[in-house]
Amino acid sequence: MKNLLGLALSACLLATGCTKSPPASAGADHEGRITVALLPKSKGNAYFISCKAGAEKAAQALGIDLLFDGPTDTDPAKQNEIVENWITLGVDVIAAACDNREGISTALRKAQDRGIKVITYDADALPDARTFFVNQATPEGIAHALMDEAARLLNREGEFAIILATLTAANQQEWRHHIEARLAEKYPKMTLVAVRPCDDLKDKAQSEATALLSAHPNLRLLMNICSPAVPGAAEAVKQAGKVGQVKVIGLGLPNENRRYVKEGVTDSVILWKTEDLGYLTVEAAVALAKGTLKPGDRTFKSGALGEFEIRGDNILLGEPFVFNRENIDQFDF
Amino acid sequence: MSRHFREISVVAALALVLIGLAFAAPGFFQPQPLLSLVTREAPTLVVASGMALVIICRQIDISVGSQFAVCGVLTGLLASLGWPVATLVPAAIAAGAVLGAVNGTLVAGLQLPSIVVTLATMVTWREALRWWRQGEFVDLPVKLQWLGLSQRTGQWLLVATALMVLVVLALGLRHLAAGRHCYAVGADAEAARLAGLRPRRVTFLAFVLVGALTGLATILNVLQSPQVDPKSGTGLELKTIAAVVVGGVSIAGGRGSLWGVFAGLLLLACVSPALTHLRVEAYWEKAIQGLIILLAVLADGVRMRKTGP
Amino acid sequence: MSQTPSQSGSSKGALRHEWVLLMVVALEWLYFNSVGPRFGTLENSFDILRHSVEIGLLALVMTPIIISGGIDLSLGSLLGLCAVVFGKLWRDGGFSPAAAATCTLALGAVAGGLNASLITWLRLPPLIVTLGTYSLFRGLAEAITHGADTFTNFPDAFLALGQERFLGVPTQAHLFILVAGVMWLLLHRTTLGRTVRAIGFSPEGARHAGLPVGRRLASVYVLAGLIAALAAIIYTARLGQARADAGTGYELFAITAVVLGGTSIFGGIGTLHGTLLGIAAIAILNNGLVHARLPREAAGVLTGALLLLALSGTVIPQLWNARRARRRRHPAPASPSSPP
Repeated sequence: MKNLLGLALSACLLATGCTKSPPASAGADHEGRITVALLPKSKGNAYFISCKAGAEKAAQALGIDLLFDGPTDTDPAKQNEIVENWITLGVDVIAAACDNREGISTALRKAQDRGIKVITYDADALPDARTFFVNQATPEGIAHALMDEAARLLNREGEFAIILATLTAANQQEWRHHIEARLAEKYPKMTLVAVRPCDDLKDKAQSEATALLSAHPNLRLLMNICSPAVPGAAEAVKQAGKVGQVKVIGLGLPNENRRYVKEGVTDSVILWKTEDLGYLTVEAAVALAKGTLKPGDRTFKSGALGEFEIRGDNILLGEPFVFNRENIDQFDF
Repeated sequence: MSRHFREISVVAALALVLIGLAFAAPGFFQPQPLLSLVTREAPTLVVASGMALVIICRQIDISVGSQFAVCGVLTGLLASLGWPVATLVPAAIAAGAVLGAVNGTLVAGLQLPSIVVTLATMVTWREALRWWRQGEFVDLPVKLQWLGLSQRTGQWLLVATALMVLVVLALGLRHLAAGRHCYAVGADAEAARLAGLRPRRVTFLAFVLVGALTGLATILNVLQSPQVDPKSGTGLELKTIAAVVVGGVSIAGGRGSLWGVFAGLLLLACVSPALTHLRVEAYWEKAIQGLIILLAVLADGVRMRKTGP
Repeated sequence: MSQTPSQSGSSKGALRHEWVLLMVVALEWLYFNSVGPRFGTLENSFDILRHSVEIGLLALVMTPIIISGGIDLSLGSLLGLCAVVFGKLWRDGGFSPAAAATCTLALGAVAGGLNASLITWLRLPPLIVTLGTYSLFRGLAEAITHGADTFTNFPDAFLALGQERFLGVPTQAHLFILVAGVMWLLLHRTTLGRTVRAIGFSPEGARHAGLPVGRRLASVYVLAGLIAALAAIIYTARLGQARADAGTGYELFAITAVVLGGTSIFGGIGTLHGTLLGIAAIAILNNGLVHARLPREAAGVLTGALLLLALSGTVIPQLWNARRARRRRHPAPASPSSPP
């Protein structure tokens, strides 16, 4: 009986909690300062930490409050929960890097219904769930850059393999899909012999790459489409004594790959300027909240980075960058 | 036969897989790649030996993966500060032992259930590390890899170290008094206490030891690559528990040997590279891992049902 | 409640635990309400509810399993498998959502039956059996979809289950309350509940007492599979998508909630309202930290700390009492018995 009483008490608490603070007026609660909430795909990931660094610079320059939070595990439902929490929190703009397009669009649309501005960066949601997409490169663009770079290194013929984070991650699937499409369309003499997941872990990527190298003696190139896999695969190639014979390319950060690029193990790393991506995203978010950036605009003028083209509803950051032995020392992130 | 049924059946299963591979994918047995793959599993073997010890004591430690990450990052940071290897090894082992002692104190001192305690420490260490390091790789000094030796020598050295740990622990468990105490405490703590043993001290030391071994394992991992991934060790607890269980250590404590664990780990570890060699699509891998675990215990279950425990 | 003497003795400690936990929940609520102006709103309460239904359902069915001295690590993976099969049946099989849901529930029960038969017929340890099916179920989900296939664009009528309100509260909350009610009755008012407790105290004793141990245990695992399937359907409706990684790690959250709620991992002791409070404590913490503008990592660290505190909170007084009782019975010869 006492237990039921306890439950009743907790229910009362819930009820009083509810009535005690009625919804405050919309807008941010810090003396009218704009609050921008920045959602990464996952936390503890060097790529998004670099985006965050740029975002913080922008936040400081523009005098706004920045929230940065994201999932710490791989469950696809977590991003939705964070967005829904932010809706209740009453932030002004949500800037999301979407882990799964359809799933998160549900939550983003809800945010728009409540008058919160939504933009996406890094990976887009469905077009009706956001106003702008800060486009560092389309999935297609990234996939083509990777595939074309691979073809260039191999002279358009030979076997290659892909190492990705997990089979289920949405962006990985999308890239893989576009890579395979490009391969079928343009490079008939190249064959994709295997696709292996590394669970986003460098150590596992190294093991997978080692097995791939011995299982496919004619393998000429490892394409790594998640950032921990690039150094992992490079180390495997180095330990197998196949430097030069098997090329390594991938999506990654300069700092994690510097030593392999310099040693000539990794041929090229493709990425964009992540800090600029974070900076531009926050700037665009603030402009959208203030009304200085509107749908239909053709350009967006950044305070620190110059002018960017807007194509449709995509703010274009520019082409992906290819880091190689010649230019990698110019970058530190 | 019946006493070593599980060890024999695991070794038989492993032999079957290897013979099958020899016909279907002889490329699997090229010496250099195989040595590299074995070296990759050396740290896992050390952790699995510790896990077996804890499970024989009728406890469990699911925080080993997080301990592995914490020790790895700490070792990496000390190395990049310029600490020599001779001091890194004791530092890593000590860090692991301290983390193990936290578990040990809570389990043996406060008599809390180990699965819950280590669930809590697993989450706490992992998230605290992420909070602190934000996922940044730790770069190691160049000369640390393979201890400055040639790659082949280094690999043999790491594998030999792991095997030595295994052999010492296996013999110690069989023949030393302390080892017999583990079995006694795991089989029946109350009986062990009445026999004059101190079950709580044994339990505490088992957790400290698994921590220290995890620390040592991080050294074996750090020495074979020039960077430390702060996410390393994710899923290590499940991998090692599966190896221990497939290897025939009873989850109810008091029964099993490290030789079985060794065979169990090899069996599970060769699934992934074997599938790569057999050109099986990666999405079958988890289902096959699960089937192996189920078949291993199924064999035991059927046998027990026939003959009685 | 009709109880055996040994049960009433142990549930006294459990009762105290639940009051402590209730205070924790209340404190959490008050704290977050004071730092986050929007935390206490009805809308946010519904968010908390909506976000905790799937893990909550798993925790509800995990409670009798743990009370019986077992564990089920496969529930999160089973959620993923069920979500994928539901999506497959609906999109590729041409089933209506209702028909697909029925089949999915059946699949959940069958998968639970697989666990149950290995655990009861072959008397294998639940930890190992479900560690195997943890890999197997997730592996099958990946094999069915090749890891890559995502099911989406479900009809609005189905999505309402996860995203809309019914009678003023989130639709799925009705299902949750229903399941919680049924589970409470099962565990606290039926012979099944009593048997499960008896098995948790001593499986051999229960067997000798003539209880149908195997059948009762099996029903608990089958029920867990069934409810995991229900959670998968709600999950799919809430997210509007089903993919092979659905519910990754949910088994650990569910176990955490159950243990936080005062259920002994050794079996025999535990209540369903304790589990409900455990779910509330974790859900409020996860949500409140956003309102307190603390990073998500804090949720992990604090959940771990809370778990340890809650456990030692109930154990330390027991240890203390036991030591005092022992001292009273056998006063140490050298030192004079200390006055209280």
